[in-house]
Amino acid sequence: MLHSLLATREFRLAADPLVEVRVLALGLACCAVEVDAAVVAGILVPADGEPDREPVREPVREPGGGFRVLVVAGTVTTPLVPAVEAALGQRPLVDAVLAFGACASTGGPYWDAPTVINGVDRIVAVQQYVPGCPPCPEALRDALLSLAGR
Amino acid sequence: MTSREPRGVIQLIPDACTVCMICVQECPSWCIAIDSHHEEVSEEGARRPRTVSVLDRFTIDFGLCMYCGICVDVCPFDALEWQPQHDYPAATRSGLEHDTDRLASHGSS
Repeated sequence: MLHSLLATREFRLAADPLVEVRVLALGLACCAVEVDAAVVAGILVPADGEPDREPVREPVREPGGGFRVLVVAGTVTTPLVPAVEAALGQRPLVDAVLAFGACASTGGPYWDAPTVINGVDRIVAVQQYVPGCPPCPEALRDALLSLAGR
Repeated sequence: MTSREPRGVIQLIPDACTVCMICVQECPSWCIAIDSHHEEVSEEGARRPRTVSVLDRFTIDFGLCMYCGICVDVCPFDALEWQPQHDYPAATRSGLEHDTDRLASHGSS
């Protein structure tokens, strides 16, 4: 099954040492490349990587768990709906869902295509929409910080 | 490494817009909506009143926008401009639809 190949990858947000944000990135289409660009830019750090600096005070949420955000990056097509549902079913459950890019937000340029779900919010409530085709890595950082209340 | 040219935002200069609708027609993702009405303008010495289009509402749905910049390129009156700002995530779907005032404000922030 195609969707079984599309597992989430876990990252930490490196931008603010005060905020413990865990990012589960579900890359469905080309916006996934921009998530990788955020890793290259140092905005996201692999979850099992060494922290680049010690937090100056305790994170907002429990360490280890943190504030968990599912970042849906890319076009949600009908065959990929199970991949989104599988990501949502992971334990511990995510605290928020972020639609990254035009396709995940609204269907984007494919809104008229019969096999395209017009936004991941048709499947699950979305707490943050990041516009762009694709959005820049900085927009991902800003949206994650906004979600975490910073 | 960070992206050196962030894909920013499109600013509207409402006073420059003549409601020619070229941007709406050329937009490949159909993300621009314009409402307008006609007004008659009487000028002294003119044989008959002129009819002008008046912009009521200009909306770009950044949820659909591909940031291709075609609207900026085709606008004959330079009423649309690129701005570098990228920090405008929305908590709701409708928050991605920027109306006339919001579009006009993008240059100042």
